[in-house]
Amino acid sequence: MILARPLRADQPAQNSPLRGLSRLLSGPLLTLLLWEILGHALADAFVLAPPSAILVYLYENLGLMGRALAVTLTNAAAGFVIGNLAAIALAVLASAWPRSDAVVRGLALLVFCLPLVATGPILRVVFGPGPWPQIVLAALAVYYTTLIPLLVGLRAVPAGWLDLVQSYGRGRLAALLHVRALAALPYLVAGLQIAAPAAFLGAMIGEFTGAERGMGVLTLRAMRSMNVDMTWALATVATVVAVLSYLAIGWLARRFLHHEPPVILATPAGAGNAGRGQGALRGVLLTGAAALLLWWGALTLLDLNPFFAKGPWEVFSALVLAPDAAATRSALAEALGQTAIFLIPGYLAGLAAGALLAMLIVLVPRVAGVAMPLAIALRSVPIITTAPLVVLILGRGALGTVVLVAIMVFFPTFVACLHGLRQAPGRIIDVLDSYAAGPLQQLIRVRIPAMLPAFFAAARMNVPASVLAVTVVEWLATGNGIGSLMALSASLSDYDMLWSSVVLVSILSALGYAGVGLLERRVFRVYAPEQLQ
Amino acid sequence: MKKAAGITRRHVLGAGGAVLGVGAMGVFPRRGWAQVPVSLQLSWLHSTQFAGSYIALERGWWRDGGLDVTLVAGGPNAPVEPPVVSGAALVGISAADYTAAAVEQGAPFRIIGVAMQKNPFVIASLAANPVNVPSDMEGMRIGMALANTPVLEALCRLNDVDIDAIEVVPTQYSPQPLVAGEVDCLLCWETDLPVAMTIQGVENVTMLMADYGYAVHSQTYIATDDSLATRRAEIVALMAGEVRGWEAYREDTDAAAALTLEMFPDAGLDPETQRLQAARQVPLMFSDLTDANGFGWWTDETVAANIDTLALLGRTVTPDMWDRSILEEVRGA
Repeated sequence: MILARPLRADQPAQNSPLRGLSRLLSGPLLTLLLWEILGHALADAFVLAPPSAILVYLYENLGLMGRALAVTLTNAAAGFVIGNLAAIALAVLASAWPRSDAVVRGLALLVFCLPLVATGPILRVVFGPGPWPQIVLAALAVYYTTLIPLLVGLRAVPAGWLDLVQSYGRGRLAALLHVRALAALPYLVAGLQIAAPAAFLGAMIGEFTGAERGMGVLTLRAMRSMNVDMTWALATVATVVAVLSYLAIGWLARRFLHHEPPVILATPAGAGNAGRGQGALRGVLLTGAAALLLWWGALTLLDLNPFFAKGPWEVFSALVLAPDAAATRSALAEALGQTAIFLIPGYLAGLAAGALLAMLIVLVPRVAGVAMPLAIALRSVPIITTAPLVVLILGRGALGTVVLVAIMVFFPTFVACLHGLRQAPGRIIDVLDSYAAGPLQQLIRVRIPAMLPAFFAAARMNVPASVLAVTVVEWLATGNGIGSLMALSASLSDYDMLWSSVVLVSILSALGYAGVGLLERRVFRVYAPEQLQ
Repeated sequence: MKKAAGITRRHVLGAGGAVLGVGAMGVFPRRGWAQVPVSLQLSWLHSTQFAGSYIALERGWWRDGGLDVTLVAGGPNAPVEPPVVSGAALVGISAADYTAAAVEQGAPFRIIGVAMQKNPFVIASLAANPVNVPSDMEGMRIGMALANTPVLEALCRLNDVDIDAIEVVPTQYSPQPLVAGEVDCLLCWETDLPVAMTIQGVENVTMLMADYGYAVHSQTYIATDDSLATRRAEIVALMAGEVRGWEAYREDTDAAAALTLEMFPDAGLDPETQRLQAARQVPLMFSDLTDANGFGWWTDETVAANIDTLALLGRTVTPDMWDRSILEEVRGA
């Protein structure tokens, strides 16, 4: 909430503590009241518990909830640390050794696209009973959303600064340490803030692979036994934890990040963009080769049984050579078609909603008091508990799934855009101020261009995130599309189909990502040429 | 780490297999002898669904048989077949239709015991608008996972019901859509969603599909050919514990539910629900057949009925998917 406070320039001068407090509280209080009323109104539908019932449940089951929370939180925290360290290591590698950039991005994307439905059981077989599948799934849920903003941040450096480092005869490493690392910190914070709720959700879904305790286990139990109070008590605890971790990271960042974000506008495009098309093709080929090698190597190294661990050759064979290859392909195509109907509108709606809300908050800072906690909460409520409510309100058609995907996409976009909007250089804002340009003019002329790198980073990383969302919803709630096909294939031991789905989903996600990247380049050529260096 | 340990144990076992085999039959006193670690992969989260196993564990019947048994929880994203095929679990709990699908995909599984003689699938409906016989479903909306479409088709074929007269609504596995009136009936298990509704005070009716020709063994124990050949004594000891545990379960299902709650305090289990579930699964697991031959038993006739129903589900299987030799050894022992 405090985090949502806009730039220094916009801040109202007379901000008495009392007014601040009432603004801070009015939004949540209003929400709680509406929730209580709605909870009672929908009592017969068994979808929503009012806050009072949730409090009673929590009070009566404090020990149970506490123990479950401790388990899941520990796993999520471990996954958060591991995933983010991996992201930082990868970003540093790609930045210090630009040649590896394409392959790092490509592989990171492919790994992030691996659907939970498929990775969960394999992690369980590899690690056996214990917390590791949960930890790994939490790490997988976070590393990518940290890596992408970080890669943007490492480039969000005025060319002059890099020239300065060069003129002192220092190399890339010095530039990385002294200039890029500092420039990247705000972006890292954005990534970490998005990562916190994602880690928790990852750990919860990880518990579906056969954990004995934790919030995910209890959620399953609550939903099956139609214990609405328990379901929403769990969702509330998960949400509060996610919101608190989000705020804590923001607070830490403000404590320790004292410097202003660097000016990143109006630097000319770097030279050497000529052979880019060729370079991109080489990057794709290298990534493909590395992915195949990694895939084959992992199966061999882990010595997984070929009954469920299919290699590149088996998948090729299932899709092309096998007698039933045509049937496999058509089943996949049908499922992918069903998924696309939900995925694409949800993705676009989520992007639009995220960017618009961020702009609204900059224009009308007062909105932040209500919108910010709601936005964080909406994203943090475990999707598995919101799904039935959304479906009840919006029906079982496409709309419910579209909205759920949009919710998953919305929040990372919103956070990234808000950070991006705040990257607008103060001096330029001052210039516009001195010409008496209104907030709207400032938004259009300065802030939106400043936001674009962050917006596109969010748009790119939301391609796999939305695929993740849609497959989880299809798997757990609607029973349509590729998410359901994967779950069904796993339960029927049709591992050829499962791995083929995984490969196709990953490739399509990567293509979607590349498509957004192409669009991004066109836009950056005009608005943010420093990103094209 | 787990895997490496398993391999070492298996080496040890290979060397002393004969000795252990004899030991498992109780010739040697077990005291001071290393227990053989064995995993049983359950098909779902811990609950009274597996309470017979908990009894065997708690009363030390496996320990006395020379086994150190780990009961591995399942879940919605934890298929049973991979750990069993990879040897991480010696025995897994599956169902005849899933096993048939896996065998079709080349998995070397055999069914070595049948916990649920009657398939637990029911059509659940509200008491005010009940489904008592299959034909009642005509004109209704049924909520189920689309993955279960073959099951509904089989039920309709078996009972001359026009499936086109039933509207299938894909729902998550929850009683909520039925209670909220989004559907008129649900395809679910006798022992979970109907129990939840009863506990929540929602009057409901269930129609057991097994009473209308749907013969598919459920909660079946599976093992690989390889394990059946090389780790036979362990499998026999494991199943001996299961048989004993489930016979004890039947004597007092309330005690079994109490034990479940005591062993898994963090599983979020509701005592009343567990007691009701424990009682309701007894008629599915025990019959004249098991009274005469013991828990887990089957005959050529029940296998033939299974093969017919599985054919309706699109699965072609042969009677040798069932291997009764382990139960015969347990009974002989």
